[in-house]
Amino acid sequence: MTAEAALRSPREIRRARYLGITYLVLSGFVLWFFGIGSWGEGIADFGMARPTDTFDWIPSLPVPAAAFAIGVAVVFAFMGGVQLVRGFGRWQNRILAIAFILFIFAFLGWAAAGQSFNLVGMLRTAVERSTPITFGALAGLLGERVAVINIAIEGQLLAGAFAGALVASITSNAWPGVVAAVLVGLFFGWVLAVLAIRYRVDQIIIGVVINIFVLGLTSFLTARILAPNPHLNRGIKLNSWRIPGLGDIPVIGPIFFDQTIFVYASLILVAVLAYTLFHTRWGLQARAVGEHPRAADTVGINVYRYRYLNVLLGGAVAGFGGAYFTIGTVGRFDENMTTGRGFIALAAMIFGRWHPVGALSAALIFGFADALAGKLGILQTGIPSEFLLMAPYIATLVVVTGIVGKARPPAADGQVYVKE
Amino acid sequence: MMRRRLALVALLAVFGLVVAACGDDDGGTTAAPTTTAATTTTAAPTTTAAPTTTAPPETTTTAAPIAAKICEITDVGGIDDKSFNETAWRGMELARDQLGVEVAYLESQAATDYRPNIDAFVNEGCELIITVGFLLANDTALAACDYPDQKFAIIDQQPEFYPGSPWADADGNPLCDFSQVRGLTFATDEAAFLAGYLAAGMTQSGVVGTFGGINIPPVTIFMDGFVKGVRYYNELNGTDVQALGWNPDTAEGLFTGNFESLDDGRAFGENLNDEGADIVLPVAGPVGLGTAAAAQERGFLVIGVDADQYLTAPEFAGVWLTSILKNMDVAVLNTITNVLNLGSVGNLYVGTLANGGVGLAPYHDLEGTVPADLAAAIEQIKADIIAAGGLAAFLTS
Repeated sequence: MTAEAALRSPREIRRARYLGITYLVLSGFVLWFFGIGSWGEGIADFGMARPTDTFDWIPSLPVPAAAFAIGVAVVFAFMGGVQLVRGFGRWQNRILAIAFILFIFAFLGWAAAGQSFNLVGMLRTAVERSTPITFGALAGLLGERVAVINIAIEGQLLAGAFAGALVASITSNAWPGVVAAVLVGLFFGWVLAVLAIRYRVDQIIIGVVINIFVLGLTSFLTARILAPNPHLNRGIKLNSWRIPGLGDIPVIGPIFFDQTIFVYASLILVAVLAYTLFHTRWGLQARAVGEHPRAADTVGINVYRYRYLNVLLGGAVAGFGGAYFTIGTVGRFDENMTTGRGFIALAAMIFGRWHPVGALSAALIFGFADALAGKLGILQTGIPSEFLLMAPYIATLVVVTGIVGKARPPAADGQVYVKE
Repeated sequence: MMRRRLALVALLAVFGLVVAACGDDDGGTTAAPTTTAATTTTAAPTTTAAPTTTAPPETTTTAAPIAAKICEITDVGGIDDKSFNETAWRGMELARDQLGVEVAYLESQAATDYRPNIDAFVNEGCELIITVGFLLANDTALAACDYPDQKFAIIDQQPEFYPGSPWADADGNPLCDFSQVRGLTFATDEAAFLAGYLAAGMTQSGVVGTFGGINIPPVTIFMDGFVKGVRYYNELNGTDVQALGWNPDTAEGLFTGNFESLDDGRAFGENLNDEGADIVLPVAGPVGLGTAAAAQERGFLVIGVDADQYLTAPEFAGVWLTSILKNMDVAVLNTITNVLNLGSVGNLYVGTLANGGVGLAPYHDLEGTVPADLAAAIEQIKADIIAAGGLAAFLTS
């Protein structure tokens, strides 16, 4: 209460107090709704393997729902107490994450009390569903790190999905489809780059126009070319590929290592970008361009070249991510099949504080909420299905606005740079 | 510099909007002249072969090439959705080929398109406007009041008058005279009941599943019949087959919330499969194709809806156990025939097992795997439902 407390600013103290009260309220909520609510409902049975897994005999995990919820309530009460008295200091966000996970499990226990559901299957779906959002968010942050706002992610995803399905069908091979998706993404990245950097048009407007244009163009081509020629939309796809060895690990294997190539690629790309953006010369210079282009220019960094390069890269990443929607899941293209995932990706980028790992985490939260909604529909919890469908968006909204605190975009974000 | 910049963006924006408009809305109307030109000339003489009409046959023979224009407005999901919109459109194509009418369609990209599409077709002088889908009821009702002479037919809806109905005011009184509006409804649960019985008899894991697009009656009636069919099988054979994804008692279940995202269809299919379901019934138009893709990869079976999806989506041929047919084409053709021959839309149409408006598609490739006694039992139940005069009567008897 002495040295550490003295170092905290009034704002931090206020935030810690709010959090403490929130923990106490949550404690009461969990105790009342999940603890008392599932009292006598029996055991929630969490399946830990899928019928198709190598170790399909792994026993399920029985959780006594009411007892677990009461335990969580006690932990929350303790956290609230500590938070109010002295705070967790730099552990605050980690404790918050743990609290979040505990809350989810208490909720799951309540929902599944007396029933069973497949936890591993749900987590696998969460990872899979987060993939296009991760790609979109990476595309967005590549641009914004050099101060070019990319609202056109949705359009680039959709264009990639279309090109992927079309070329894969023509060549009867998924890989040329993937290449085509990347090239089309690259093209729309180029359109954005030229208009934003060379002609200095408002970046938001360009993004919106590209989105409308791609939606219209793909719908038009679907109606005129794909519909009368079913052989151009045949559903060529890449099935999931279980990595030998890793994919056989119980629980972890099916979640992370029995996925499509797109999921692996997104995880690798996150690692590569997290390293290159923050630990290489290229990353440092790119970020300098995004924070203070004039200063970067002064020390001899070619601002325009960095902006072109990153926006083009972002387009290629989004195009590749778009191929997930066709080649990565169902093969077929249908109108507007990205259904707004590109905009969720923007939110994920902001929530992830313009950091690749953060973006991945945000995408995973959305994917998790999405997969959870699917399970709750089966479990018949009494929550209306319309509300369940809102859950992923509400989760995104809550984390973006509330929990994360203030996120700071690159200082020059969205501003044009005119070399003197 | 500034001027050039703006001009460039304006050009791109305009181009984008034009292409968007072409792709979305005008697609049908511009397509219509080319298709009709090819058919009107050849089709007219053969009109006497028109099937299942309510009209006396002698009137059709006197009909020379008819210039009537019949127009369809789709719900979202596109005219080529392999199920819902496409089946209705096939009825239009049949009418074009058999009756020599001119046909056109407009696709709705969003709910805000419904009314503008209706207005556009009224202005084009369409003899009959067919609105495809429950969700178009509000706009169809209001348009029917604004244009009392315009004939309408609406699929999955009928003018009904109770407080809260799109056809009535707050007190449940009709908004106006709806004698020019024909409801085309389907007792889909009769066919879905057979599919549920079949699925319960075919499952290896003892679990089957279903999910829908949106929680609205024309969707849930499939799920309802399906689950009841499973329950009936359990009752009759002393089994305990579980049906996931819909509870007829609470009217809640599993929904994707859209009719567009095929990725949702795949995820929901895998979700149900993870819970042990080895036969899945997706009731969400093209979204079900995503489920079929998942089924092909993982090796479970899917039941199609609306059309015989073994035929409309042959790339997934091996996974369709059967399809619950909702023969909207029959209903559409019947209505068009009425309009041409009687000058009116006719009374409410209800598709049933008895009149062939709904049905179960053949098993195709899986014919050999369906046990003969199961197939026979389904035929018997079908006959019993027809004899009882409906599913409700059958279940209470």
